[in-house]
Amino acid sequence: MSIMQKNYLFGSAGKWRRLTPLMLLIPGVFLYFLVSLGPSLATTVYAFTDASGLRGAPVNWIGFDNFKEFLFEGLSSRDNIDATVRTLRFSVIVTFVQFTLGLILALLLNQKLRGRTFFRTLFFIPVILGVVIQGLMWKLFLQPRGGPMATIFEWFGLESEFLGGLPGQAFIWVIVVQIWANVGVTMVIFLAGMQTISEDLYEAAKIDGADGWQLFKSITWPQLTPAINTNFLLNIIGSLQAWQLFLVLLGYKPGTQVLGYLVFAEGFGQTEVPAFRQGFAAAASIVLFLLVLVIGFAANRYVNWREERYMA
Amino acid sequence: MSISLDNPAPKLEASRSATARSRNVRIASYTILSFLAIFYIWPLFMLINTALRPLTDYLKDPAGFATEPSLTNFSEAWELANFPQYMLNSAIYTASATAIFVLTSLFVAFPIARGYFKGSGVILTLYVVALFLPPALIPQFQLILNLGLYNTRPGFILLFLINPIGMIILVNYMKSIPRELDESAAVDGASYTRYVFKVIFPLIRPAVATVTVLHAIGIWNELILPTIYLTSADLYPITRGLIVFEGVYGSNWPGIAAAVLMLMLPILVLFMFLQRYIIGGLTAGAVKG
Repeated sequence: MSIMQKNYLFGSAGKWRRLTPLMLLIPGVFLYFLVSLGPSLATTVYAFTDASGLRGAPVNWIGFDNFKEFLFEGLSSRDNIDATVRTLRFSVIVTFVQFTLGLILALLLNQKLRGRTFFRTLFFIPVILGVVIQGLMWKLFLQPRGGPMATIFEWFGLESEFLGGLPGQAFIWVIVVQIWANVGVTMVIFLAGMQTISEDLYEAAKIDGADGWQLFKSITWPQLTPAINTNFLLNIIGSLQAWQLFLVLLGYKPGTQVLGYLVFAEGFGQTEVPAFRQGFAAAASIVLFLLVLVIGFAANRYVNWREERYMA
Repeated sequence: MSISLDNPAPKLEASRSATARSRNVRIASYTILSFLAIFYIWPLFMLINTALRPLTDYLKDPAGFATEPSLTNFSEAWELANFPQYMLNSAIYTASATAIFVLTSLFVAFPIARGYFKGSGVILTLYVVALFLPPALIPQFQLILNLGLYNTRPGFILLFLINPIGMIILVNYMKSIPRELDESAAVDGASYTRYVFKVIFPLIRPAVATVTVLHAIGIWNELILPTIYLTSADLYPITRGLIVFEGVYGSNWPGIAAAVLMLMLPILVLFMFLQRYIIGGLTAGAVKG
């Protein structure tokens, strides 16, 4: 192996001994195993126990009980399955809108327009602000009585309780804020992709008399394949796992839970009757993980298939 | 665009219609962009506007404008919300966790990028795999609890010492540094630590900047982990403090708005200076296929 030939650290000519690099490598890798990889894998084990959040409390192996409860046991399992369906609905809507809107923004802001830097920055800023600022900003904007959005609604003779309203309505506003907050990333990735497309391709096509739509269809879209794939996957996986805006905007509101929130609420006593049901929460997070895995895998297959078709 | 009438340059029909079309495209573009921009500017404007109004004034008409802007909400929120303490906590967590993470990662990323250890490829794979594994939330809690680090600063900082994506960015960037440098350093007898700090580190500074900024922003903005791990108010970072403040002063939106703006300011300042690295990090590897 050529790598081994060029091993200056340990080769006979090298003055660096093996020990120092190894000693320095260990802390980082150890931390990684301790805090991230180990716990990730252990989730699978905890899902089969009745672990609670109490220090020293006994942990018993209970087989598939958590999963049975999640899927089949009466009222609570109906809530869990509703949450699963809601997670999927959330993901589909967010992915579709965020992808499309991000693409439109990128197309518009890839033109030579005055003020495009301003617009790019503006649409990107929420991304770095984090859920607390994003959420509180919109909570203020969506104050039901006399708030800014309520005032706009009044102009059109409409009325809404916004986040305080029916679960279905509140859910839609969380979707709006989620897209508002994250479309900047999608846009930036598309823009980066567009900047790799050679100007010559467009010039040549224009000489052949291609119009805007034809340019988009036969040059931009196929050339943008890597960015399209990245955004598609990031949006799907990101939206399946997203739930923090639900916490800031709605708190524990029955009828609005998504799976990520359910894991947090069950595991850390945030439900209506607080209990630290960590084994059950671990099982719920395995369900979410499987969902992400299956959908992510399918999306990835689709993306590879597209890539072969366009890039061949 | 100005069209001069006294010098009517002969133009082809096609190019004239092309100019007209490009003008229409521009108008349409600005229309769409401005419409969307409203939803970004207005909430921000209302936040600033609300922060400048007295509470009584706000309660009378929440959507109204600040007629006599005052900064009292800021000083009030600063004291009521225990802001100096929370800001200090956030700064401690962000700075120490980021520093430790970057330092330890350098010495993991370098040998991995070079393939200097048997199995370094496996380690890299493990970092990639982590992106797809189940969330570590529950066992992580059990770990911190059983280590006796629940509701402590070290325990909280421990949670932020890893960042698989950051590690992958560092490794990829280091691969672009020529190996010949290693050779001459080894021949010259430079020590390993000195080499990594004095030669490699300056060369990969853009990647370090990206990783540092992304990691720091992530910690600064984190809400869930402080909610789970910190119960003493004097350990709260600013995000948690703000949510608690909102819970207590629920209808005092002028105060909350002022507090939100104070949390926002450091991030915006950072963004203005380091925009390039933030966007570079988010798009790294995203468009190369």
